[in-house]
Amino acid sequence: MADVSGRTGLGDQIRLVAWLRWRVLRNSISNKNRRLDLIGLIFSGFFSLLFVTGVTVAFFFVTKSLFEQHLESLFGLVFLALLVWWQAFPILLAGFAPQFPFRTLLRFPVKLSAFYLIGMAYGLADSAALAALLWMLAMLAATVVAQPSAVPVLLLTCLLFAVMNVTIERLLGAWVEKLLAKRKTREVFFTLFILTMVSLQFLNPLMQRYGHTLLPMVRSWVPYLWLLPSSFAGDTVAQFAGHHWGAAVVKLCGLAVYTGIFTMLLWMRYTQLYSGEELSEGVRPARTERRAALSVEDARETVTFLPPQVLAVFRKELLYLKRNTFLFFGLIFPPTMLLFFSVQFAGPHPTAFKKGVPPDLFFPGMMAYLVLILIAPSYNCFAYEGKGIQTYFTAPARFREILLAKNLITVSIILCEIVLCVALVGWRVGLPTTPVLFATLAAIVFSIVGQLTIANWASLSYPRKIEFGKMQGQRNSGMSVLILFGMQILFGGVSTLVLFSGRWTGNAWLPAEIFAVLAAAALAGYFSSLDSCTQLAEKRKEILIDALCR
Amino acid sequence: MPDIAISTERLTRRFGALTAVNGMDLQVESGQFFGFLGPNGAGKSTTIKMLTGLLAPTSGRISLLGLDFAQNLVELKRQIGVVPEGMGLFERLSAPEYLEFVGRMYGLDKATTRKRSDELLEFMQLADRSKTMIADYSHGMQKKLALAAAVIHGPRILFLDEPFEGVDALAAGALKELLARMTERGVTIFLTSHVLEIVERLCSHVAIIKKGQLVAQGSMEQLRAGVPGIEGRTLTLEDIFLSVVGQGADRAQIEELSWLT
Repeated sequence: MADVSGRTGLGDQIRLVAWLRWRVLRNSISNKNRRLDLIGLIFSGFFSLLFVTGVTVAFFFVTKSLFEQHLESLFGLVFLALLVWWQAFPILLAGFAPQFPFRTLLRFPVKLSAFYLIGMAYGLADSAALAALLWMLAMLAATVVAQPSAVPVLLLTCLLFAVMNVTIERLLGAWVEKLLAKRKTREVFFTLFILTMVSLQFLNPLMQRYGHTLLPMVRSWVPYLWLLPSSFAGDTVAQFAGHHWGAAVVKLCGLAVYTGIFTMLLWMRYTQLYSGEELSEGVRPARTERRAALSVEDARETVTFLPPQVLAVFRKELLYLKRNTFLFFGLIFPPTMLLFFSVQFAGPHPTAFKKGVPPDLFFPGMMAYLVLILIAPSYNCFAYEGKGIQTYFTAPARFREILLAKNLITVSIILCEIVLCVALVGWRVGLPTTPVLFATLAAIVFSIVGQLTIANWASLSYPRKIEFGKMQGQRNSGMSVLILFGMQILFGGVSTLVLFSGRWTGNAWLPAEIFAVLAAAALAGYFSSLDSCTQLAEKRKEILIDALCR
Repeated sequence: MPDIAISTERLTRRFGALTAVNGMDLQVESGQFFGFLGPNGAGKSTTIKMLTGLLAPTSGRISLLGLDFAQNLVELKRQIGVVPEGMGLFERLSAPEYLEFVGRMYGLDKATTRKRSDELLEFMQLADRSKTMIADYSHGMQKKLALAAAVIHGPRILFLDEPFEGVDALAAGALKELLARMTERGVTIFLTSHVLEIVERLCSHVAIIKKGQLVAQGSMEQLRAGVPGIEGRTLTLEDIFLSVVGQGADRAQIEELSWLT
């Protein structure tokens, strides 16, 4: 029998969970490596506060005017806004904000009912929930001013609506947690996320073209909104304001039924968790599969002019790219965005401008965008190595070779994307004049090689681990982001000046000539920097290993 | 004059105010199965990291196979195999892909790498998981793979940091036999482990480190001779270890935890 002096009360347990969340947040901020993140947090906190305060004021005046103008039937829309915010925001945030592994509380002596209530309290302490509660308070304050007799019914409705929302949010959270617990489903989820993000870019052009046919369809769905719990909440208030007591009670009962159903579903989900549902990966025995025997063809060396170390890292990088859902599917972004920009700003019938941007401007602009997007991961090129970074230090290889292989992969990717994008630009907008085409291509070489030289140094100096298939807290170090921005501005600025020098001097080939010289200088600088990078890696190895093996 | 595989002179490593390894003079002869012991935080991993190029010494000198490590870094790395703390695996590769990567990094040709990785996977009983990613392996399987990667290029010195931790008894038995055979062929093995029985059974020579300093070094017989005996039985390595580094929690401390007993 355990020598426990007494039982911990439910209130104490809730307080302990709140304390734990606070300590996790505080400790993550107080880490000196995250000082730059703290600045970001202060900024986002300030703007969030501004947003929440603004919406609180809006809720107050909307509620007041709905009562004053006898438009209570529109309360359903107000509650719909609350419902959408309460459910959508935490899901959007799930991938990015620090999460607390709520399930781990199950190792402590808590009853299922206590676990359920702690879960609800946990949901209530969510930032989206706190904002929504504040907005409901604003609605109550407006009701006190505009129609005091409706305060009790609005209070009751808001309480029930809040319980229902917390329940749905916890339910969705539990399902999302189940979904994201396994690596494969997590990667499918992120693939869908990326594809959705890409697709959203086309929403505006599509709406501009087909909006007039979509709008009536959307309008035809509006009557069905009464089925939503938010409509039941809104109608309760509206019926009460119209003195239809019976109808108000029926609507309130409808909302209670919704709350009951979601409570039952959440209870079932928590029961599964409580009974020991295993969510993590690697529990099921893996399928057995053997490798095919080595053929003579397989054994032959295919590339002989590069050292085996470069080839080994190159092959490993290719495999990593293929298995990194986020990076791999991210490669469809640049051509998709180029297509989007060409629809919006260039070509014969741009949707945003009356007159399209000419190819001599559009082409260099798009290529600059391409380099901007694709070069960014190079500023933290060891991000995905994890503990494997130790292999680079124990193997008889110099960092010159390792960086060369990594840079070769980047250049190969950019080359493939450029070929694809040049074809796209040619099809959609038309190619630029020959001097601009050559100047742009030379500028690409200058910018890529120049930036890779700096990126190698930044990767060795400010490494930050990024985990596969995770979005939460996965970003480069603040310093490497600053260097990236600085370099993008520098290279972009120099390239723009050189490109326009042709116009200013009247010599169309001058930019191409300048860029050719700059590209040659950048190449020379790049190759001479590789040995310094080997020395730097040796000097910084402890920092690298420490940062990436966490 | 014996052939020295590993030698350190006044090897020191400081982390700010903390001196993790303090003026260590260590000598390991070629072909020795050398056990490196010490309590937690004594400086074992720091030493092994310095000996394998994962950590730079603050001062002192390391020689491997008679060559200065700092001066011949790449050449000497070709001659050593390492299972580092944390294993150093690329978790998004499969086991054959990882072994091929490591083989190629050590300069083996494609056919040799492939042949050796197939044989090693078979030996480590990992051949039927050729498409599973390392991230999905159990801890023991990852350890076996790290060991396979450490020997794929046929090293002359093998550094193993807790190599049997998490490895099942069957595989551990086969591995011990393999390592013993390697030492017969002249390979030097430098091993750290907290399991003193393993070290006692495998190692011909042992060094004990305490608070960054070597407090004992020699063969088992030499170590036994250096500490007071216990009547009626031969001293075990555990007896020697406890005698050299001092007992763990004393009786007074245990009595403080009387509520647990």
